[in-house]
Amino acid sequence: MTDVPPRQSPAPEEQAGGAADTGHNGGNGHSPVTVEFLSEWRNAAYNCYSSGHKFCREVCPVMQVTRNENHTPTAFHANVVAMEQGELTVEDVAEDYVNCTQCGACELRCPNTLFTGDFYRFRTRTVDLVKRMRALAVDNGVHQPGYQRWNELTDERSHEPVLGDTPVSQEHVRDWAGGLDIPIGGETVLFVDCEAAFYRTSLPRAVAQILRRAGYEFGLMTEQWCCGGPAAEMGYRDQARRFAEHNLADWRAAGVRRVLVLDPHDYITFTEDYPEFFGDDFDIEIVLVVELLAQLIAEGRLTPTVPIERTITYHDPCRLNKRKGVWQEPRQILGAIPGLTFHDVDRVTQWSYCSGAGAGLPIERPEIARKISENRMDEAAQLEVDTLVSACPWSERPLAEAGQDRAIDVVDIHELLAESLGIDVGGRTRA
Amino acid sequence: MTGYRYHEQHTPPPARQVTDVAVERFEHIFEVDPKLMTAHVAQQLFPNWDTLRIAASRGDHLEWMHRHWAYQVISAQELLDEIESEQPG
Amino acid sequence: MTIAPELSDQVVSELADAVGGQHVLTSKTARYNRARVPAPFPVHRWAERVPDLVVMPASTEEVAEVMRIANAHRIPVVPRDGGTGLTDGAVPERRGIIVDVKRMNDVKAIDTDNRTCTVGAGINMLKLNEVLAPYGLLYPDDPASYPCSLVGGRIGTSGWSLIGSRYGHSRDLVLSFSFVLPTGRVIRVGDGGGPKVSKSSTGYQLKHLFMGHQGTLGIATEATLKLIPKPEAELSPFWAFPDYDSAHQCVQKLAHAGVATFAGAVLFDEWKVDYLRRDDEAYIPQPADVRALVCAVAYGNADEVRAGGKRFMRIARDAGARYLGDEISQGDWAARHDRYATPLHGRTRAGQVVPMSWHCEDSAINWTDLPQVRLEWHRIADDLRRRFDMFDDWGIFAYTSAATGVDYLTEIDIGIWEQELDDESWTAWVQAKKDIAEVAVRHGGSISACHGACRDGEVDLVPVELGGAFDVMLDVKRAVDPNNIMNPGKYLLDRAYETEVE
Repeated sequence: MTDVPPRQSPAPEEQAGGAADTGHNGGNGHSPVTVEFLSEWRNAAYNCYSSGHKFCREVCPVMQVTRNENHTPTAFHANVVAMEQGELTVEDVAEDYVNCTQCGACELRCPNTLFTGDFYRFRTRTVDLVKRMRALAVDNGVHQPGYQRWNELTDERSHEPVLGDTPVSQEHVRDWAGGLDIPIGGETVLFVDCEAAFYRTSLPRAVAQILRRAGYEFGLMTEQWCCGGPAAEMGYRDQARRFAEHNLADWRAAGVRRVLVLDPHDYITFTEDYPEFFGDDFDIEIVLVVELLAQLIAEGRLTPTVPIERTITYHDPCRLNKRKGVWQEPRQILGAIPGLTFHDVDRVTQWSYCSGAGAGLPIERPEIARKISENRMDEAAQLEVDTLVSACPWSERPLAEAGQDRAIDVVDIHELLAESLGIDVGGRTRA
Repeated sequence: MTGYRYHEQHTPPPARQVTDVAVERFEHIFEVDPKLMTAHVAQQLFPNWDTLRIAASRGDHLEWMHRHWAYQVISAQELLDEIESEQPG
Repeated sequence: MTIAPELSDQVVSELADAVGGQHVLTSKTARYNRARVPAPFPVHRWAERVPDLVVMPASTEEVAEVMRIANAHRIPVVPRDGGTGLTDGAVPERRGIIVDVKRMNDVKAIDTDNRTCTVGAGINMLKLNEVLAPYGLLYPDDPASYPCSLVGGRIGTSGWSLIGSRYGHSRDLVLSFSFVLPTGRVIRVGDGGGPKVSKSSTGYQLKHLFMGHQGTLGIATEATLKLIPKPEAELSPFWAFPDYDSAHQCVQKLAHAGVATFAGAVLFDEWKVDYLRRDDEAYIPQPADVRALVCAVAYGNADEVRAGGKRFMRIARDAGARYLGDEISQGDWAARHDRYATPLHGRTRAGQVVPMSWHCEDSAINWTDLPQVRLEWHRIADDLRRRFDMFDDWGIFAYTSAATGVDYLTEIDIGIWEQELDDESWTAWVQAKKDIAEVAVRHGGSISACHGACRDGEVDLVPVELGGAFDVMLDVKRAVDPNNIMNPGKYLLDRAYETEVE
């Protein structure tokens, strides 16, 4: 989702860069909501269709596994043209759109973005298109069973069901902070995503204790809900918006001016979905923790001194590297940790890497997601490392599973930094 | 540090006309004159971070392509300077 | 004429037995998304080009079995590799079965001693070179679709490489390949019988025959490739000229220089420079007296590239060129490995931005004929634009095809606003393509240097260009594909069967 104001503000076509002159698209038997969608996405779809060069294909993590052209960004756009031509319906195409992690490689690698996107202020927006097509399917009553169930459970519990049969719940969302005495509210709060809050509690504990070590003041939300991003990614936009409204209201009630985000997925949600929902009214500053920590190190407010004797490589989380261009700060942090032997792989090569964990792919296509994780760890194994460091909690569970067969540990960058700062983190990664 | 702020991101620097069809807002990043995108294709709303991300990624990609094809890139300017110093005029 | 019969459950079940049920795709999206390639497409007639189903085999044996089934039932077969070709080779004209080879993308062997590798036809060159990099080796087949086209498609097209003047084109770089004939028989085609032989005089030289056939003779499934040491150094100076004629003279002097590391030279005309001024950051700020461009490219050992490079710089300076500087030269060249047009280059006559598809006519023209061909081509393109405000002249490039400057891949790029296409404009477009091809043939060139020539319009000129050789093509087609199942409708090859029909 791009950073756009709410629907009522600009003409809807400006979202996708639609036709300035309307009047195209025809009904072709589509529902009104589909007709509106086609009008909005017409030019964006043709901008891909009329190139057809497919530079997206070999960087796409799904495509690298399935090799099925239906799963290419090219097809995702061509389907819109075919719908406009009356050849395909939303029912025909909906299921294909589950085959995407919304990693953003395709749309960045597309010449229409990389070479001319900034020039025309019109770039390829495959991630937005996948989200919108999934939403269009839901709006037309076409549900993917896994997504539907996941979002129902999230709606019931106000958090994603990351523990499987073990229910998550509102009263446990701050359990990870046990014993740390973190205040509620304040000008700055730390937002902890569902995976880290319930599954990998060592991660938010590490972040909290590092910030405290640096003397950086922060609190927790009064009643944190899921950010709503996963619902937006899977097409449940109304639910996503409800969750966003809750969290924004919680921040406002507590006088929060700044939200610290440790999860790249949340960072996307807060800097792309929330601005779309709230437009000019969105006055909360969003700070990515990994950028903040790099700065605190550079300022001398944090100095890691405990040597970590590991041979590592770094996994660029898709939502940082590809979708936000954040790749230097994690390397600055790793560069400050003594003892590490770092076999780095450049950020451009990593455009074609992914953990497989994004945008609900593991929910609907676990076998493809697993293969993507294995491919990523195969790349790491070739570097003869014993550890892969990531900065994304959602990547760490599937990569750790794939790492077991290859004798590679998967470690979170915040936890690694805490260790080098001599912090005994506590918490755990649930098995 | 400064994080993401909506108003900052949606306030681009003023445009300087470069040619009759191009303007410049950020240093060394040209953009189409917006008047050319008023009839058929409307421009998207572009936060500043996205313009800068794309321009930086383009540079990184081109550098990657050089490395992909050869271990080093030779400067033609250096060769030209050598010629000029060998044969003045 | 072979037209796909309605595929029976029996056929679908036989195909499922051959490749596995999950690799037989029958959904509408699977079929609609394998109906086209990047070339301009009559969107309003999409349904005419949709195949009946898609198979995604994993091995040569599975392809052979699919072929036996198709041949037995007389069902058209269209191979699809990257789907990045520009002559509609992968577009099914008579429905039938698409054989999509993308799953066959493994690296089977790397022979560092003889410097070859053997790969599945579904592998992409950039991805292959990532695998070869730790060995210090490179497969230098470098089309503008380098990051997405596949080795098998390069064979089916007999592809052209940007740096072919130094390292050869696909036909030189592919040593041998496994090839499934329409009967299901599998042969190995190369120079002679050995899979890693680069020059043989044994028997007929069939490698050229089974390259560039656009899928009309069979399907390549596995290939053995010639590798080079990854070059130590790259050099790519770009120069500006105040007029086309000076640039035209200079480019041939560079090609004639006899520099061993010379990998190619490119000439851009005035229309191309005007087009670049629309949105290319390198050319927007150039002064108005820049009307033509030339670049030269060298790869190889650093000392040799430097020595040859100084020679280039001297030649260009003496030809009145202005060097554009390292930043533009290096940046522009690095962007040419994936230099497909982006649609928003398109402009209406009023100058408004519109998304246009890209047609690239790609003739082989001798250097002496470039100035005249250029003018005749622009006349055709400009006439089209005058009549329909949905076509746009994007200028002409000419690239050396060989180190001696004998002929140039000469392309006129034309933008086409597909959203507005209708039967009248499509018909005018097809006629224009025919006219462009006619100019190339009349000037003693070839309709296509790199894409192939089987699209509507230019294909009519193929018998004119080839003369008696076209009749031999018909004989070969009938001998290899007795039932005309392979990509029927392409290259006027139906004529091979006309007597049988009568």
